[in-house]
Amino acid sequence: MKPEKPDENLAERRAMLLHAGAQVARSSTSILDPERLLETTVDLICDAFGFYYAGVFLLDETGSWAVLHAGHGEAGKRMVAEGHKLKVDGHSMIGRATGERRALIALDVGEEPVHFKNPYLPDTRSEMALPLIVGDTLIGALTVQSTEEAAFSEDDITSLQAMADQLAIAIHNARLHRENQRLLARFERRTRLLAAAAEVGRQVTSILDLEVLLNNTVDIICDAYGFYYAGIFLLDEAGEWAVLRAGHGEAGKRMVAEGHKLRVGGHSMIGSAISQRKARIALDVGEEPVHFKNPYLPHTRSEMALPLIVGETVIGALTVQSVEEQAFSAYDITSLQAMADQLAVALRNAQLLRELEAAHAEIVRTKTYEALATATLEAIHWIGNKALPITASVERLRQDLQDLASVDPLRVESMGEDLDIIAQSARLIMDVKEHLIGPAREQSPRPALLEDVVKDAVTQLGLKPDRVRFAIAPNTPLVLADTTHLGRALAYVLKNAVEATEGVAAPQITISIAPAEGNTVAVSIADNGPGIPEEALDKIWAAFYTTKGTTHAGLGLSAALQILKQLEGDIYARNLPEGGACFEMRLPAAAPGTASAAALPAGKRILLLDDDDAWSAFAVQTLEQAGNQVTRASQLEGVPEAYDVIVLDNALAAADSLDVLRRLRKAGCAGKTVVVASRLWAERATELLQGGAKDVILKPYTPVGMEKLFA
Amino acid sequence: MEDEIRILLVDDEPLVRRSMEKTLIRAGMDVETAAGARDGLARFTAALEEAPFTLAIVDLHMPDLKGVDNPDAGLELLSELLARQPALPVIVLTAFDEVERAKEAITRGARAYFVKGREAGLLELVHTILEEEDKEGDEK
Repeated sequence: MKPEKPDENLAERRAMLLHAGAQVARSSTSILDPERLLETTVDLICDAFGFYYAGVFLLDETGSWAVLHAGHGEAGKRMVAEGHKLKVDGHSMIGRATGERRALIALDVGEEPVHFKNPYLPDTRSEMALPLIVGDTLIGALTVQSTEEAAFSEDDITSLQAMADQLAIAIHNARLHRENQRLLARFERRTRLLAAAAEVGRQVTSILDLEVLLNNTVDIICDAYGFYYAGIFLLDEAGEWAVLRAGHGEAGKRMVAEGHKLRVGGHSMIGSAISQRKARIALDVGEEPVHFKNPYLPHTRSEMALPLIVGETVIGALTVQSVEEQAFSAYDITSLQAMADQLAVALRNAQLLRELEAAHAEIVRTKTYEALATATLEAIHWIGNKALPITASVERLRQDLQDLASVDPLRVESMGEDLDIIAQSARLIMDVKEHLIGPAREQSPRPALLEDVVKDAVTQLGLKPDRVRFAIAPNTPLVLADTTHLGRALAYVLKNAVEATEGVAAPQITISIAPAEGNTVAVSIADNGPGIPEEALDKIWAAFYTTKGTTHAGLGLSAALQILKQLEGDIYARNLPEGGACFEMRLPAAAPGTASAAALPAGKRILLLDDDDAWSAFAVQTLEQAGNQVTRASQLEGVPEAYDVIVLDNALAAADSLDVLRRLRKAGCAGKTVVVASRLWAERATELLQGGAKDVILKPYTPVGMEKLFA
Repeated sequence: MEDEIRILLVDDEPLVRRSMEKTLIRAGMDVETAAGARDGLARFTAALEEAPFTLAIVDLHMPDLKGVDNPDAGLELLSELLARQPALPVIVLTAFDEVERAKEAITRGARAYFVKGREAGLLELVHTILEEEDKEGDEK
């Protein structure tokens, strides 16, 4: 291309260069892929201009390096592969062309030898470097090289720069196109993910059964997104573990069966997605290899863990896994989390429904139980009522039989024996009725002095004082109990102890009361009988179990247990090392009394007819503190006219309170007598009221309760 | 028969009623029975002028004056009887040991509250009450 005839050749050469430039531009502007554009362009330039080499450098992100993106021929390919780059504003031709933003020419080996030492391009003798500029922006540089010495003149620059400018625009367009493509692809992916989310949401919200929902959802997700695996973890009750509740495919089934679970807040993707309440992504085996070591899921290359959140509550997490490396990007989180949110709501709804169903089932169960209990009570009453006339009928028969004794003594004796059998059976039925119905009656717990209830039970059983020893710890708190029921339970246990010591040389029952752990009060009743056979220790609590033969229905201890349980207490039996059995009962201690003052009258003269015991001490103190004059006496002496109020304890050690009441009535004092009892039953209350008592009430154990004495 | 003891026995349980009736008859008493409060009140009212009852025994839980099963039917009848014959001794019978109902019965004027189960006890109770009546009668 060396000019031979300067003027004429100049015009011709310019036309030729412009033509070649136009050819390059025409061919290159239609190429939208940036890489292909550059590769094609360097070849086109060499072909059209007949150059030895052409190469395109593009600035890197920092703008300080021009990186070779395409080079002509084998030499170009190698240099691209080696990452050939030149410093912008450096000493190289490209460096200077980019730094100075103008085309430069270097001719001949001798003049600028440094430029032609490239081992890949040994034949270069001339080079032109042209900046690639779009608008005001430098994007790189183009190098063209020739084997001819002095191949380029200043005059060529205009033509070649025009071509470089067009190339720069083509590169810029191709880049814009690629960016558009990328945005479009991202948009399309998001649209597809959202469509899949909508599909999952549509399908899962119609499933109300939790198990079905869990199992179907993992399949629905894998289908909609084309994932390799999906699994749903739900938090356990303590919120410490995320438990796999459903997994896609055979792998999922196995892991669920094995009870696969991950610790919340642990190092697992699921564990941290839950504790941090945000989605986590792991890509590629190389980067986070730990996540892809699950032997059941060998092909996983990407994983995303998404927390399942409803309102403020995390209920679990969803894992989705792909066989593709880099399957998930931060851009996918929004759409997948939208799906996870819908899933969380559906799961929560199913959970709530299940809880509702469980609550409903519980109500049905309770109702059934109540219905059964009511039915049982009615059945017991029915049986009792039907058995009622037996005893009386037997009695009448027995009387009639006596008249026939002289006729056939032997037969009459035999008939009498049969009547005994019938009478005993009837008595057992009536006993059973009372034992079964007693504990089933409604309870009204109140603060009570356990010592007093126990002592009343002992008194009412008519136990001789020398047979019973008491060990009562000071400052034992009041218990919370229905004293009528508790008194009955104590009577059963005491009766058991009395029977156990029958036939013992020096029968002894020891009763201890003391505060116990767990805010309870313990009362133990120990006897020096033969103890309970080891094999019977558990069975004694069962209804109808007895070690005492057929005359016992075997319901006393069973009833005692039932009463204690209803009082939120308990009862245990054990054998003592020194011999004998010990029954220990626990009762809840009453909350310490509130300071509400009792509205008690003052200035009354009060006679308290009671033994010298803990309750009478309490009563005297309380009534005196209120400003009354109280006299306590264990028995009635003389005519108690000088009193405004007489308080009579139903259980007196030395007398029957009903007798005392009769005497009071004779003295004209019954009308101001209030009978107090730790345990009341209808017949007794009736007798006492018929005996003229002003009132019969449950014994009060708190100052406020004392108000009832004056109602 | 001026001294005849006439007893009105009201209970809806036929066997119990008949058994108690027999016990009372054997003790030499004249017994009329009814199976509910309405029937009981009718018998009582019918007898009031000619041959009034000496004592009434009424069950608590039975058909009431409207003929409806009612746990307080006996209390209802008790009040009706006493309204017509204030000094009539009435024993209220029940299968339940209920202190409050017992107190209510006494408050309404019942002479006694008897928990079924010890029929011999009932006869004793009737005798005791009748003795008390005699004494009070003598005192007056």
